[in-house]
Amino acid sequence: MKQQEYDQHLRMRPNRRTVLKGAASAAALGSAGALGAFSERALAQDNLRARMLQIPGVGKGAPTDADWQKVGELCLGPTKANVKEGEFKGVELSFMGLNNQNLHNLLFRGFLKPWEAYTGAKISWIDLAQADYNPRLQQAIATGTVDFDILEMGAPFEGDVCGKGLASEMPDWVKTQIDIDDYVDYLKPPVGTWNGKTYRVTIDGDCHNFNFRTDYFSDPTLAKAWKDAGNASEWGVPKTWQQVQAVTKFLKGKKIKGQNAFGYLDAPKPWGGFGFYFLGSRATAYAKHPDDKAWLFDVDTMKPRINNPAWVRAIQDVIDALPSEPADQLNADPNTTGFQQFLAGIGAMIPWWGDIGQVAKASDTSVVGDVVGFDILPGSDDVYNSKTGKWDKLASGPNHAPNCAYLGWGVYVMARVAGDERKHKAAWSAAAHLGGKDLSLWTVMYPSGFQVHRTSHSNIDEWVAAGYDKNYITSYLNSQFGSYNHPNRAVEPRIPGIFQYYSIAEDELTKIFAGQYDAQTGANNIAAAWEKLTDQIGREKQIALYKASLGV
Amino acid sequence: MQDSSSVADGPHHKLASQRIALSRKNAGQALVALASLGSLLVLLIQILHSSGAIAAGFADWRPILYAYLVWATALGVGQVMIRGERGLRALFLLPAVLFTVAVVIFPTLFGIYIASLDWNLSSFEGPHFNGFNNLIGLFHDSYYWNALGNMVFYAVAVLGEYAVAFGLALLLNAEIRGRKFFRVVFLLPLMLSPVAVSWMIGKSLMEYRFGPAATLARNLGWDNPAFFAHPWIARLSIEAMDAWVSIPFIMIMLLAGLQAMPKEVQEAAKVDGASAWQSFWHVTFPLMLPVSVTVLIIRIIFKLKLADIVINVTAGGPGGATDTVSSFIYRVYRDRSNVGYGTALAMFYLLMIIVLLTVLLRLSSRWTQKVT
Repeated sequence: MKQQEYDQHLRMRPNRRTVLKGAASAAALGSAGALGAFSERALAQDNLRARMLQIPGVGKGAPTDADWQKVGELCLGPTKANVKEGEFKGVELSFMGLNNQNLHNLLFRGFLKPWEAYTGAKISWIDLAQADYNPRLQQAIATGTVDFDILEMGAPFEGDVCGKGLASEMPDWVKTQIDIDDYVDYLKPPVGTWNGKTYRVTIDGDCHNFNFRTDYFSDPTLAKAWKDAGNASEWGVPKTWQQVQAVTKFLKGKKIKGQNAFGYLDAPKPWGGFGFYFLGSRATAYAKHPDDKAWLFDVDTMKPRINNPAWVRAIQDVIDALPSEPADQLNADPNTTGFQQFLAGIGAMIPWWGDIGQVAKASDTSVVGDVVGFDILPGSDDVYNSKTGKWDKLASGPNHAPNCAYLGWGVYVMARVAGDERKHKAAWSAAAHLGGKDLSLWTVMYPSGFQVHRTSHSNIDEWVAAGYDKNYITSYLNSQFGSYNHPNRAVEPRIPGIFQYYSIAEDELTKIFAGQYDAQTGANNIAAAWEKLTDQIGREKQIALYKASLGV
Repeated sequence: MQDSSSVADGPHHKLASQRIALSRKNAGQALVALASLGSLLVLLIQILHSSGAIAAGFADWRPILYAYLVWATALGVGQVMIRGERGLRALFLLPAVLFTVAVVIFPTLFGIYIASLDWNLSSFEGPHFNGFNNLIGLFHDSYYWNALGNMVFYAVAVLGEYAVAFGLALLLNAEIRGRKFFRVVFLLPLMLSPVAVSWMIGKSLMEYRFGPAATLARNLGWDNPAFFAHPWIARLSIEAMDAWVSIPFIMIMLLAGLQAMPKEVQEAAKVDGASAWQSFWHVTFPLMLPVSVTVLIIRIIFKLKLADIVINVTAGGPGGATDTVSSFIYRVYRDRSNVGYGTALAMFYLLMIIVLLTVLLRLSSRWTQKVT
């Protein structure tokens, strides 16, 4: 603790810059006249956020455990307002979450250390790799062996957990502490709720955005070659999947900065079900019609749409693009495309969650921080209408349907704490601390595994003050909020067993991409397996939950 | 010389047995009967409770374990009370038998029961009896048969591993400089976890972009050294990694065999003018057959469980080319929470392994007898 205070003093030590800033602030305050107590609180809050965002400073290396603890300490204010010091002494809580890329639980440990020191509670940790998460959770649910009090969980699992009465309803004081109304619209109910009750402290907002290399699309040599190849359009960032395909095929065999140039990077290797999202990102513009909320299954029957012309076209796109991608692309999963290829300087375009934007600028592992741009996912010149069975060309232009994949991580408190009032309050206090408004700003700015999910995260000035380049962050935030707020966004169904559907599809897709089946035959196989799975899980209940998740 | 059993069954023991009072015998029988009834009653209550037939019952199945332990203790005490000294002798064996029942027999029977269920962890209805449907389903499951086909390749490849290991064992058995050093060095891969090997070799050394193996391959003229993107190259790459870990095991077993072999036989062959090859093929190899068969059987058993390297490096791809039965079962159980079907696949595979190994052992035993 003393070391942290010393560090804080060091940071606050006046220098010429801070003195001038202070003088300018004082002059501004003077000219504005006397400010009320509210403004003082607001200023203090702004000051806290500004100080917090300098830990360790964007572009100053990856944050460490010491940094996470400092952030946790700075953000203890709301906890102190609701909990007395030492109030949870003797309470022991178990927390289950992920350890992906050394983030998630590792950050939570740091954030919660000051909370533990203040409240007296102790937390034990269950760390899981992404691919182990689903089976561990499902086993705990099915065998009645829930051995954790707090759970980091994605909204797609809410059907499994909240629907079976395993979660604790959020108390009102938590809603106030975390300022729940600040969430972006697509993460508001029904997401995070079940039968009208709120269960989730949202700490993440997930969608796939489009990450591209600005140097590729501003390269005069490539631009000339593009024209020489007879293309009528200008060389630039693709706006539709048709253009993505054309650019990917064009770049085959080209060089940029002396290295082999590659266009779009697909992720054909299975990734515990999560790889299916990447086909989904290619498919939503074809499959999600603005007049139809459904895009994965028919609403009334749960009949899969995976083998309709829209999805088959997306699968065919992958088949067509793979020969223009790196030679070992068949063995690339999304972790490879994102972190070993794109951030390492290979490839011009990938869809991914917002992690790429965070890591590209703030992590030591990235070499593309200065040459990466962002957009919502490409659109399509035409969109398949499942109701008429025809492809429609929209009067408004290309159809865009951002893939709101996974709906972000949240923190949930399990119902098993209900019998012990202190434990119940302690668990919710810990969850509220992790989902606090100020702390969330830090997690979305630095590598954490979490992306913007609050309206208050859209204040570009705060990002610039933290050290982000204004153009870079404007592009990034526009791609994120542009996806969340898109009227034709494709929101993932929160139905039980959703990852089983994805896992089955991954297995079949790998056969298609290896050339064992054509796209239509493989898609038909997936559809048949999905039908079987729906029957096994329970078709009628799945239909009801699917409708609820779509809000129809 | 009289053996111990004849001593135990001798007139002294019979006398001791006869001296047990009837009341003590009755008490022992009553104790065993009471404990058995009590345990069965606890089991019945819990079965009825968990099936929803009655409200009374335990929150979990742990009390059944306690009941089993109590019953086992009562059974042991009862044996002594009923059978005296013979009962005491039974106590030496009884714990091992009961332990085997608890951790081998019961789980196997329970596994067969689970294999007969339609049980998806996400299912709203929970598990329900499915008869032979899982078994029938696996016969129509192309993924399972594809994985079995791959297992044939992996199992046959053990012969290649054996050949390399035999060569290395002969080398280390010879009077070469630094023999002890090489013995330790050649053993090192065996000490590595296959998961570590997956990352160190599959995902680093053989990495397409920066891996030294890929760089070397490029320098040797292979333009696109993608080790895991083409079915046969991927299969061979997985086999190479698994072989690298396992060859030391085969080698050390063979080396032990070579060192135990009488020197006189080889010296006699030399005296008779046999060449090095003739000496190996007609003397060393036949004498090593029992060791070879043992090590091959053990290695095949290990090979049939191959999963970790495949899961980590290729996830069974490309297009199922490297999939193994274990890695497929892993996906069915872990990614798809299909407990009933996954267990049925595992049980059927277990049966196949038992049959295969029984046949192999019989054949090898006959062949060894013929050759030697």
